[in-house]
Amino acid sequence: MQPEARFFLHPLTAAAVAGLMLLGGCSSPDSISRSGSDGSSASNVIVLGFDGLDYDLTRKLMEEGRMPNFSRLDAENPLAKLGTSAPPQSPVAWSDFITGMDAGGHGIFDFVHRDPKTMAPYLSTSRVVADPAAGEPFQLGECQVPTSGGEMELLRHGTPFWETLEEHGIETTILRMPANFPPSGTATRELSGMGTPDLLGTYGTFTFYTSELFFDDSDISGGKVVAAWPENGVVVGTLDGPPNPFVRKKEKAQAPFEVRTDPDEPVAKLVVGDEERILQVGEWSDWVPVALDLGTCGKLMMTPSLPAMARFYLKSLTPEFQLYVSPLNLDPMDPVMPISTPASYAADLAEGSGRYFTQGMPEDTKALEGKVLDRAQFLEQAHLSRDEMLVQYRQILADWKGGLMFYYMGTADQISHVLWDTLDPEHPRYDPVESPKFADAIPDAYVALDGMVGYTLEHMPPNTTLVVMSDHGFTSWRRAFNLNTWLWKNGYLAVRDAQSALTAKFFGAVAWDQTRAYGLGINGLYVNVVGREKKGSVPESERQQLMEEIRDKLLATLDPKTGLPAVTRVYLREETFSDGGYRDIGPDIIVGYAKGTRASSASSLGELSAEVFADNVDDWPGDHLMDHESVPGILLTNRPLPKPAPALRDLSGAILAVFGVETDVAAK
Amino acid sequence: MNLLNSALRVLFDLLLYPFQALPAAVGLLVVSALAAMGMLWVFKRTSNQERLEAVKRQIHAGLFEIRLFNDSFRRIWSAQLGILRNNVTYLRLSLVPMLFILPPLALVVAQLQFHYAYAAPAAGDQLVLTATLDEGWQDSGEVPVSASGKPQATLELPAGLVAETPSLWTPADRMLSWRLRVEQPGDHVLGIHIGDQQFSKDLAGSRPLQRRSPVKPGRSWVDQFIYPAEVPLPADGVLANVALDLAPAEVALPGWKVQEMAGVPAWMTVFFIFSIVFAYALRKRFGVVF
Repeated sequence: MQPEARFFLHPLTAAAVAGLMLLGGCSSPDSISRSGSDGSSASNVIVLGFDGLDYDLTRKLMEEGRMPNFSRLDAENPLAKLGTSAPPQSPVAWSDFITGMDAGGHGIFDFVHRDPKTMAPYLSTSRVVADPAAGEPFQLGECQVPTSGGEMELLRHGTPFWETLEEHGIETTILRMPANFPPSGTATRELSGMGTPDLLGTYGTFTFYTSELFFDDSDISGGKVVAAWPENGVVVGTLDGPPNPFVRKKEKAQAPFEVRTDPDEPVAKLVVGDEERILQVGEWSDWVPVALDLGTCGKLMMTPSLPAMARFYLKSLTPEFQLYVSPLNLDPMDPVMPISTPASYAADLAEGSGRYFTQGMPEDTKALEGKVLDRAQFLEQAHLSRDEMLVQYRQILADWKGGLMFYYMGTADQISHVLWDTLDPEHPRYDPVESPKFADAIPDAYVALDGMVGYTLEHMPPNTTLVVMSDHGFTSWRRAFNLNTWLWKNGYLAVRDAQSALTAKFFGAVAWDQTRAYGLGINGLYVNVVGREKKGSVPESERQQLMEEIRDKLLATLDPKTGLPAVTRVYLREETFSDGGYRDIGPDIIVGYAKGTRASSASSLGELSAEVFADNVDDWPGDHLMDHESVPGILLTNRPLPKPAPALRDLSGAILAVFGVETDVAAK
Repeated sequence: MNLLNSALRVLFDLLLYPFQALPAAVGLLVVSALAAMGMLWVFKRTSNQERLEAVKRQIHAGLFEIRLFNDSFRRIWSAQLGILRNNVTYLRLSLVPMLFILPPLALVVAQLQFHYAYAAPAAGDQLVLTATLDEGWQDSGEVPVSASGKPQATLELPAGLVAETPSLWTPADRMLSWRLRVEQPGDHVLGIHIGDQQFSKDLAGSRPLQRRSPVKPGRSWVDQFIYPAEVPLPADGVLANVALDLAPAEVALPGWKVQEMAGVPAWMTVFFIFSIVFAYALRKRFGVVF
């Protein structure tokens, strides 16, 4: 059906437009721009969302002539800073963009939220909801029949701006949009992005098989290490999936695999089910389909296996066997969770341009931090993902019939996080021998995105507005600040025992009845309010005064090493966020750390350390979770937007205006 | 067997030659029509048409009986038994012509499989070449081995193909494998040298519709029956077979891209659907009852 036909036929659309006309907020339906089926008439918009592209670095590379396509656009419409969200975290920032509202409106304040009634943390963007009407599984000998599968729920609130366009008869194609899992279901075509879990339901859990007896796995947080030895040249292992829902005893769905090694050469054959790959040491496999066996009970339930896929990296055969296996991704040919709209679209994309990663963030920074992959290996993996996205994007652009298209690229962000020291010789992580070897990695990531912009300019239909934007900037993270330790040392947080406090996980040693405030997430600080928190100690009447007191003290805190303030701005909830219905689930205070300083990873998960400040020597030298004023993103267009877009929240409204849709997104 | 296969290879190469530049569905349409006509002709001459017609009438009568006397359990039960008995008779009467149809059909299917089941490798595609040694490969003493016992083999690749890995020896399977990459699609002959022995394997990739075989078989009758598309390996060689993992081909129909499903090649699905449709459409013209 043609877009214009849909527009006039849909009664809800007609009603919505009529309402807008009555309010005088919009023109007549005829004035709303529409895209022709060949993509050549009326208005089309392509938005390229580049996570973490920093304004200053982009400008520098443009001046060096390394981003000619950005420079070409800049000559027509100057590159602008795009204000990011408070706090400047990707799920928050993208939700600002999607809804045109701040966190008070869409309800995403951090990667992690907490339930004040239980103090349990949870991932902020989605959750599994069990069917309340579901009873106990039906027992059948060793097997069981689940009475309900549960559902994934998107926790981001508010109306996505593409939904408004769809209501006006404009087709939208929204690909890999962060904070959109499960997909909203309101675009013509959608593929979920950042926030999409792996098969285990995590943000990515790798497995490392090694024959090394004393492999140090103390730094591994997003994966597991499994012992594996060759016997007669063959290593036998299993890939572990989620618990088998069809058996009564606790048992995981598993897929056996073999690695058959050559006696003379550094080469091996990987056998997973019917799939075989030959890999040399130092090579990555393509996506290998994996069928996780659900046993006899699964066969009885007509579900013999769970489909998934993984990439294998043969790290070493001698003297030690080392095999990295990526997180088990949902197989786009047959995803077991909803990842696209319509449901068949994920498979259509895979048929068009090959299997592709479905996990939200495929670059395995956890494996790098855990020393399972080194920097070169990490970069290879990141480039594989990037190339996969570029191939997919070209296919989608070739098939695109106009309207709105959004495509997200996250590789520059992830590479910047783990390699920023290569651009900052003052960084504590900077190694004068090792770091310069990777000095081109981040610029190259930017250059690749410039190539994508150039390709788009060449191949997009005429009369298309191209919007290139990033959700936040980037900078060096040199100093780590343990907010919970600061609260402890300033008398706001109490512990039961000072010694055990330094080893306890997730507020394990905190004396809640004497604690007035605590930090959770990267920028969040919560007051321990009576009646709200499980063991609150601060009456609501004293909350405001306490927040102001903490704000003043934080702003006065100086880093003893640099003599500079650790915090440049402190944002009180009521002064910062609109009351869009979800303000109360967020932190009472957003801490705006000074550029170069960030909350320590330990603090963000409720752990204490001996010192408030420490050098950041982790494999995570770059970041952006500081004062949002100091890390703006970028905005670049091929023609002026009809409305100004100084910040992410304004951009969606400006895109609607390109189509002649004047809906006040924020009001919705 | 080799002579028969050689003749069939020539016959089908000639038969399908006009369709080389056309979509696979066009060739399958014609072949299905010819196959349907051939099967109708054989069926007519090898079956008892009068008996078949009579049995079919009996079955129809039983169905009418059920509709007419649907208030009588006894009559329904009796009619059902009659239908069942006549169905068995129908199957028995069909068995004889099927015995005549199936052997030539199997040979036809085997030939079509190697024209339509595998996609032509494109530039950039990776293929795994596997040479399986005979069970008694060590007995002859003709195969040089490394200190670890790995047979020493060298690969001779034409321009357009490159080996991305050294040979991989998996003793439990007696297999030597290489990963190849296609740089230039074309009709290639790959060479494998083991000691003084030389072997070859064809890889046809210059046109979409071509005879291409995933396996160069050994000399056994069964191997040659299953893989008739390529001249078998020499009987006195140390190799049992040579295989290439060719990707399955799709068949595009208007509005439907048929793919391999549950191990059934796409072309076979299309072939059987077309054949059945043609057989039904032409049965009266051929005067055949089935």
